[in-house]
Amino acid sequence: MGKQLANWCMNHTRLVFTSVLVMVLALGMMIPKIIIDTDPENMLSAEQPDRVKHNEIRDRFGLHDMIVVGQVNTQHEHGVFNPESLAAHYELTRAIEGMEGVIARDLMSMAAVDNVEQAGVGTIAYDWLIPSPPQTQQEADRIRAAVERLPMYQGTLVSEDGQAASLFVPLESKDISYRISMEIQAVVDELGVADEFHITGQPVAQDTFGVEMFLQMAISAPLAGLVIFLSMLYFFRSLPLVVAPMLLAMATVISTMGLLIGMGYTVHIMSSMIPIFLMPIAVVASVHVLSNFADRYRPGDDPKEVMGDVMDKLFKPVLFTALTTAVGFLSLLTTPIPPVQVFGGFISFGVLIALILTLGFIPAYTVSLKRETLDKMAEKFRLKEEASQEANKNGSLLVKMGRFPTRKPGIVIGLVVAVLAVSVYGINQIQINDNPTLWFKEDHRIRVADKVLNERFAGTYEAYINLEQTGIDRQIDQLRRNIQLTLDEAEAEGLELRSTWASLWDESAGAASPGDRLETLAMLIDDHMFEAGFDEQDYWEEILDQVEAGRSATRAFQNPGHLAWMDELKEHLESTGVIGKANSLADLVKTINRELVSGEMEDYQLPERANGVAQTILSFQSSQRPDDLWNFVTRDFTQASIWLQLPSGDNQVMSQVVEEVDRFVASNPPPEGVELDWGGGTYINLVWQGEMVEGMLWALGSAFIVVLIMMVALFRSVLLGVLAMLPLTITIAAIYGVMGLVGKDYDMPVAVLSSLSLGLSVDFAIHFIQRLRMALEDVGGDWKAAIDQVFDEPARAISRNAVVIAIGFLPLLAAPLVPYITVGVFLASIMATSALVSLFALPAFIALAPRAVLGKAVKS
Amino acid sequence: MKTNLKQLATGLAGGLTLMLSSSLLLAAPPVSEIIEKANQASYYAGQDGRSEARMRIEDSRGRTQTRQFTVLRQNVEGSDRQNYLVVFSRPSEYRNTVFLVHKNPSADDDRWLYLPDMDLVRRIAPGDKRTSFVGAHIFYEDISGRNLNDDNHELLEETEDQYVLKSTPKDAGSVEFASFQTWIDKETFLPVRIEYTDSSGEVYRIMENANIEEVDGYPTPMMMRVQDLNSGGNTVVQFRGVSYDLGIPDSAFTERSLRNPPSEWLDRR
Repeated sequence: MGKQLANWCMNHTRLVFTSVLVMVLALGMMIPKIIIDTDPENMLSAEQPDRVKHNEIRDRFGLHDMIVVGQVNTQHEHGVFNPESLAAHYELTRAIEGMEGVIARDLMSMAAVDNVEQAGVGTIAYDWLIPSPPQTQQEADRIRAAVERLPMYQGTLVSEDGQAASLFVPLESKDISYRISMEIQAVVDELGVADEFHITGQPVAQDTFGVEMFLQMAISAPLAGLVIFLSMLYFFRSLPLVVAPMLLAMATVISTMGLLIGMGYTVHIMSSMIPIFLMPIAVVASVHVLSNFADRYRPGDDPKEVMGDVMDKLFKPVLFTALTTAVGFLSLLTTPIPPVQVFGGFISFGVLIALILTLGFIPAYTVSLKRETLDKMAEKFRLKEEASQEANKNGSLLVKMGRFPTRKPGIVIGLVVAVLAVSVYGINQIQINDNPTLWFKEDHRIRVADKVLNERFAGTYEAYINLEQTGIDRQIDQLRRNIQLTLDEAEAEGLELRSTWASLWDESAGAASPGDRLETLAMLIDDHMFEAGFDEQDYWEEILDQVEAGRSATRAFQNPGHLAWMDELKEHLESTGVIGKANSLADLVKTINRELVSGEMEDYQLPERANGVAQTILSFQSSQRPDDLWNFVTRDFTQASIWLQLPSGDNQVMSQVVEEVDRFVASNPPPEGVELDWGGGTYINLVWQGEMVEGMLWALGSAFIVVLIMMVALFRSVLLGVLAMLPLTITIAAIYGVMGLVGKDYDMPVAVLSSLSLGLSVDFAIHFIQRLRMALEDVGGDWKAAIDQVFDEPARAISRNAVVIAIGFLPLLAAPLVPYITVGVFLASIMATSALVSLFALPAFIALAPRAVLGKAVKS
Repeated sequence: MKTNLKQLATGLAGGLTLMLSSSLLLAAPPVSEIIEKANQASYYAGQDGRSEARMRIEDSRGRTQTRQFTVLRQNVEGSDRQNYLVVFSRPSEYRNTVFLVHKNPSADDDRWLYLPDMDLVRRIAPGDKRTSFVGAHIFYEDISGRNLNDDNHELLEETEDQYVLKSTPKDAGSVEFASFQTWIDKETFLPVRIEYTDSSGEVYRIMENANIEEVDGYPTPMMMRVQDLNSGGNTVVQFRGVSYDLGIPDSAFTERSLRNPPSEWLDRR
């Protein structure tokens, strides 16, 4: 089958080359249409319930993605509270407000918010905290004193020690955050103050990551290609021959990325790694073919003949290694994470392209080389092999090593068991955790800014608790039933109010909420009372009272009880230290109440009654920023939001917060009918992380079983099938074990690599076992001799492959983005470990019971 | 024909057209007289007055808040000072919340607030008057009037039935607008439209007076609307029960009225 295909291709080289070229050009033309997507939110599909809820919450409370800018002054004795720093702060605030895409009215900084305070006895004042740049230290001191009295801003807009101030810059959309951060940096550079400035926040991290990711795609993948090329050149000593796998890899990568982009998919952090993943996979198969060809071809041979034989031998392993790799990645389609699905699907596509090219293009290419080129190559290759054989008189180092596991299988198996035991322990230590900010290296300016700001402030990571009063509709039904009773009373007096009531009720329809409807209804009744007859007045008065009371009852978060519960929750979270700080309507109301009553801390509390809360809020609504209120409560007061500031974006921190909230709710149930939901970027990261871990385990498990079935089918032996799974099992266990031992978090890139290791690790085992069975036939049933033979050319191909790929990914270690480094380290370790395990563990296990494993072909 | 000439006048800069335009301008009263009359018509009609206001505050999503209150107003004789008493009636949580304003165009206004639930009378510090009035898109200044001397005024255009004025603040740093343009009805001298322009030259806020009716001999807008183009929200105030020259006594505008609103003047008669 392989031979026929190869022969056909070798006889139609022109057609083969043209069709490859056409495919690459056609798909490659799509690449310029690339759209980069770095939003971790897209790790969840648009319909995912948590994401939908998150967006509803943001929408409901007008919450935006925010850049956080920090200003630090450790030199001045008053920190940032000196005229120069505050003037710079003022100027920076005004400049940012003017930037296109910044939502100026929601920007928070000391120079953009209100100060509420008592201005003399019995006088309340709302005025800008920094109305104009301060000229004297005295004015700066006054600002500091004022802000220290405002709990909402302490730890948020200014650090407790006064050395740092911050600006929260809301954006119209997060994909402009890199541009805005650059504009802010430009303004900062012109300020001319000694203060340090830092820019961070999740949107900047994401957008910056996108920009750098793009660079990495242009640098890392080609660099990896170059190193692979050079190491292959070292092994094969023939430029024209080595060009073939490189062309194959390029054709594969360009076609796959072209198709992905052409089909309208965005290039996410995941899919940006497709070239890096495809490169080794594409190269590996062709290296086996070329290695075999180089070993067999001698000057004077007919290259077509030799290549035909090679493909005859290698067709099955090449086909199956490709299919298993494809299955490994296809399993990612079962995860609920769209970018991971796209990644898995397109890599599988790429693997199949590479397979077809290996079977068709490589033979066609090889035979179109000039005879002299091939002869020269064969000569050089032979000389090198002879030289190395000379160096190892008793057979090559590999052959010697190959004899060890067959002689001392117990030691090898004992070692394997030990490794597995340690690995299991290590796997149990694995910490599942991700934090998109940590995708940058420690010395990256975003990491530095993140560290500085989160040390000084309550936190630059946000999560929102959304509280909703349910059961409003039932309340309204009850109200209408009660009103029917009043109407009945009127009827008993001979007054027919029912039809008027019905028409007023209908007229009030169309309001944005049930509370709004009752508000409208009350107005309508009030209007009607001017026309209603004298006798009816008392009844309408009563109905109006009922409607008004019913309306007030819907306004749950005007209740001191509701606010007090939110306050207790906040206290609990802050005291356990899992969050930096929380802000809610309760804090706002308490602050206003204090300034209305006395300005003393003893009055920093909630009014006793709902009307008191309402009137306090009414007073606040006459401040400079009345709309800030709606970030904490909806206009109908049925839903409220608590803004949590987290000092870390770690998923683990977020999940601790969720646990603490659950614990609090369990022992302090919220007011009746109040339901709790979550939103915010940090929470969303936690959600997709959870889905991913589960999804990856499932994907890995299902791929494992499919590959096992394929192995059993390929080797037509259950035992051999299981044996073939051994190297990948040990490799995956060892790698994740080491990860757990060294404390590397299980994050998104790591999770995805498990499928890669599955696909790649099994390859060596397939080649090894398949070649062993062929060798067994060659040598007439002596399994030890057969293993010796396998440790000649096939083992060389395996180790060459491992070395080429491992070295090829070393350039990734220099990348500024941690996921790329992780991939580099992982790929190198996967190749090395699985090659080692295939070459040593497999013979050891075979040596235990050669007949049972290899079947009747073994002669004693 | 007149507008054509006007266009000609503004479009060309020749000596003849300059003369023509200055003669046209002569036909109109001086700017100071227009704004003075407009100020009188908008804020000083009658010796005193009352009106019931219903205010609907709507955000860009159509979510609303409603406030209903009665306003009593009195001109202080022989001066440009005025007193305002604003008593909330609805929704019920604001009932009997009271604002008292002693407006003094040549100095700071005196403002008081009464919160009935806590039985708290508070003075409001003289500060920015261009802040929201109880959460509406309307500013305090829109209700009691802006000091005419705070801006430089110029007549931009005169149409068949309107004067168009442009006003530029003398102290640019004190307000959020760069300028505003007012369309004044020639007959009633009521401003029917005011557009506020920000420093980038964009109109971001529009205030309109509509449904002008004659009440007790005074042309009175029965509806007022303010649009905030930045946030997409707007506030509509409807007036009714308007009457003038009632003879409301000075005592109705004292601090005593905060806790004990003068119901005989507040209730509709």
